[in-house]
Amino acid sequence: MTSPTTARRTRVAAEIRHQTILLARDPGPMMGYLVMGLLLVTVTRPLYAALGGTGSGIDQAAAGMAVMFSLFALKVAAAHLLNERTWLTWDRLRASPAGFGEILFGKAVPIYVALLAQQLILFGFAAAVFGLHPRAGWWALLIAALAWSACVLLLGAGSSTLARSPAQLSAAGDVFALLTTVVGGALVPLALLPSWLRAVAPASPGYWVLKAYRAALTGTPQQMLHPLVALAAFGALGAAVAALVGATQSGTPRRLRALIGRPSRAG
Amino acid sequence: MYRLDTLLYRTAKRQEGQTNVTALLEATHLNKAFGATRALDGFDLDVAAGEIVGLVGHNGAGKTTFARATAGLATLDGGRVRIAGEDVAHHARRVRPLLGLAPQELALYPTVTARENLLVFAGLYGIARRDAARRIDELAERLVLADVLDRRTRMLSGGQQRRLQAATAMIHRPRVLLLDEPTVGADPITRDALLAVVRAAADEGAAVVYTTHYLPELDTLDATLAVADHGRIVARGDRARLLASVPGHAVVVFDGPPPALSVPVTLSGAEIAVRDASVRITAPDPAGVLVPWLAAHPDAARHLRSIELHPPTLDDLYRHLVAA
Repeated sequence: MTSPTTARRTRVAAEIRHQTILLARDPGPMMGYLVMGLLLVTVTRPLYAALGGTGSGIDQAAAGMAVMFSLFALKVAAAHLLNERTWLTWDRLRASPAGFGEILFGKAVPIYVALLAQQLILFGFAAAVFGLHPRAGWWALLIAALAWSACVLLLGAGSSTLARSPAQLSAAGDVFALLTTVVGGALVPLALLPSWLRAVAPASPGYWVLKAYRAALTGTPQQMLHPLVALAAFGALGAAVAALVGATQSGTPRRLRALIGRPSRAG
Repeated sequence: MYRLDTLLYRTAKRQEGQTNVTALLEATHLNKAFGATRALDGFDLDVAAGEIVGLVGHNGAGKTTFARATAGLATLDGGRVRIAGEDVAHHARRVRPLLGLAPQELALYPTVTARENLLVFAGLYGIARRDAARRIDELAERLVLADVLDRRTRMLSGGQQRRLQAATAMIHRPRVLLLDEPTVGADPITRDALLAVVRAAADEGAAVVYTTHYLPELDTLDATLAVADHGRIVARGDRARLLASVPGHAVVVFDGPPPALSVPVTLSGAEIAVRDASVRITAPDPAGVLVPWLAAHPDAARHLRSIELHPPTLDDLYRHLVAA
């Protein structure tokens, strides 16, 4: 007889393995965003060097492209969650012994690793080819990347519950990614943006991750604290949207319904 | 090898009445409305271990809503579903390992292989990889899927995907199996293969609810019958007993005008209609009417051209019940 703990481990491992296979069978979007990021780091670096007047421009190029293309990759995260609904497999997962948390955790781990890998490959490329060196230490850059990948994952989970179709998700995802990138100062340095855009920049998660990356690349670890708290808040917002919107759709887990005060009608 | 509960059920089935059989699946007075539409309206259904219930009914009769409620995917407005004595609504974590569900719509991962689909469902039911691999090979062989196990699911035919879906529902040997129209798009050979696997699952002790529009399948499965209409079960029981309540007919054609008619008084309830040179006898047992009638009219027998017997079918039963 399998113990409950072993059964739980088996279920989570199965979901992680399965989600990894799903990602591996459709690598195009993630690979595309990675290659585009590498290209743009290369071609925008001289531009940022000219604009900034000091340094090689690789700090702004690497951080900016890491932010922009991870936001595009948010669509990939959201699409994988949305696929479960369009393929009707979400109901079958819910009918299985796997709990809501186990399913989400199992799906999230491979997507999170992919998002993190995308960031690290971009920064690794910038270090190897253009001599990027984080002044606060590689560990500080890693913490920022970990936090940002988690934030993107949770925002993706939230947007997957709002989207009704893959086409809708793709269009909305592109607009959201570009808006967040531009308003956050990841594409064009904040100092060059109009004052009204600079005023609304803190409303963009891109603004905060860029601050975290800048602190890791050119500042001190202490300067990362505030941006990391802000990223946690954006992540919590994504999680809340995913939970609340998901709960209003059919098939809400009973525990979650109880949590948000909508008791089951089952009699 | 039969399980004890199967043997007990079969022993009880042989006895008069079947009231002492403990049901593995008990649905009691289920109610569910979608706006003004009542999908379930006092739906009752008990299924014992080892029993296959053929659940039939037209679209919208409540079959799929019942399956979803049983799987814990739809909240009920009233009533209760219990599996092995556990309330589905309140003890979902305990009940789910006992249940296998193959929904009406295909719900598979199209971008991965058939084997990978089976592996993920095996894993979700806590089956270790080695055991899962053995079970996958076994099911694939029996469901004629062995040659396509490593093909991407979206490349499979509709019938193969249906069988794969059924296999994912049976991978963990569930004690209660809900199969919602699993043979849609299947050719006769693969349909027989699937029916054999379902029958074997029941022989191992599973309680099976098998939804279909192909009523002859229920004869192959040796299933009992539940007819759903407007959100409730309108007939439930043994096929032969239910069929006995439905009239069949016989058509007797003569080589001239039929002889004078007289129905034996012991076979009241038969309807006899004469049209040109033919006589149509409608009765629950048309042969039982026809034989004594011909015996009583030896002259008529000499002028016979043909006799066609049409005993009642499950289709007739279904039409009879739904029309009623």
